[in-house]
Amino acid sequence: MRTLVEVVARAGPGGRTVLPVVRASGQLAVRRTGPSTVHLVATAFGPLGGDYAEVRLVVEAGARLAVRTVAAAVVLPARGESPPSVQRVRAEVAGVLDLRAEPTVVTRGAAHHALLHAELDDDAELTATEQVQLGRVGEEPGRWTGTTRVERAGVPLLHTTVGLGPGAPAWLPPVAPRAYASTVHAGRALDRATGTDAVRLPLERGWVATAWGDRLAATLGRLALLEGAAPVEEAL
Amino acid sequence: MTAALLTLADSRLPAGGHTHSGGVEQAIAAGVVHDPRSLEVFLRRRLTTAGATAAGLAAAACRVVRSPGDSGPPGDDPAPGGAARDGLARLDAEADARTPSPALRQASRQQGRGLVRVGRRAWPTTLWDELPPHPHHPLALGVAAAAAGLQPTDAAQAAAYLAITGSATAAQRLLAMDPITVATVTARLTSDVDAVAQHAVTQHAADQPGPDPAWLPADTDPLLDLLAEVHAARDDRYFAS
Repeated sequence: MRTLVEVVARAGPGGRTVLPVVRASGQLAVRRTGPSTVHLVATAFGPLGGDYAEVRLVVEAGARLAVRTVAAAVVLPARGESPPSVQRVRAEVAGVLDLRAEPTVVTRGAAHHALLHAELDDDAELTATEQVQLGRVGEEPGRWTGTTRVERAGVPLLHTTVGLGPGAPAWLPPVAPRAYASTVHAGRALDRATGTDAVRLPLERGWVATAWGDRLAATLGRLALLEGAAPVEEAL
Repeated sequence: MTAALLTLADSRLPAGGHTHSGGVEQAIAAGVVHDPRSLEVFLRRRLTTAGATAAGLAAAACRVVRSPGDSGPPGDDPAPGGAARDGLARLDAEADARTPSPALRQASRQQGRGLVRVGRRAWPTTLWDELPPHPHHPLALGVAAAAAGLQPTDAAQAAAYLAITGSATAAQRLLAMDPITVATVTARLTSDVDAVAQHAVTQHAADQPGPDPAWLPADTDPLLDLLAEVHAARDDRYFAS
């Protein structure tokens, strides 16, 4: 199943943001839920192994866009030999983009690839949070691979691939977390900071914070300690 | 396989690698590494993340300074029109993006500088002049491989191998482990080293028609970032990283 979501945010009169393009096909619907907020709504169970979803976001200069989802995405394996499901987010940002989906839960036998590729103008602002739980309660973990590439004015700011779950390279006892959360921010600088199973690293006019653990709620709590300033959404 | 590759990957090459533990000093302090079994797990982790990323960058750097398609020994003429210099500058930016930890960036650039210092003397060629000042270690390794007449695959191999040997030696010293045991652990990982190096080269070749370095391997391990930053803040450490 192929899913395509496209949203364009443009500066409107009086400093407001207008959304000239809001469209979706496949397994996601998109609803405008605030002056500059859209929610993605799953219209089918899944994603299933083999599903491909692409989310194209354009935030023009002077515009703001917050992207949310209404519920956790539960990744399920296809029958038989299940290929991974793939979600690719492609963002071109000159304004302010705040991306925070509800958790991705990767069930036993499923594999999910999440890709975020953000191309920022020099003074664009980005906050993108990823939340992952491997396995439902009492269930064996699935596999999750997340690649994040953020470029500012054509220069790579951050490019990392993290693999989690059985068989993933950096998922070996004693450090094989079932929960993982990470936020990358471009806009304001924060210095390095460390916590229990959590680390924040400085980027040029930005930062990336990562936390991991057994349970997502506690992991998000430790991530929040490193996220410093109030999230962008409160300003929208 | 040539003796040049053996020389490049030899721990006796005085490039300064012996002052770095590749995170293993802090892994021991944190209780993550305490015996041969846990050392092997740590080395495998490091190999398949930081090692894979370094291998991709080293191979790309080697390719950039060699004339494209050239399989013979390199001349002193780098790719024309400043292409080698621009290519290496781009790769250095890609290495930065793949190394957000300030402690790991510093460790990489220190080791890069150390390798340039010995490489310039060991394999004199103008290729070295194409590197940015204080290059990341994988870039210096790629240029060293080219200067020594080696192929991108060799550069990847050296990068992947060096990703574990420094840590193995450091663990041996810090835990007073039996050298034969540590050598055995390292030897057990050699087929994984080959696989990582091969993947780093083929992934690049398969996915890119041209030399776009944007989608080189970027495998990372947040645990190594955390260990590196905690380690850098300590004032009682033996190793620089």
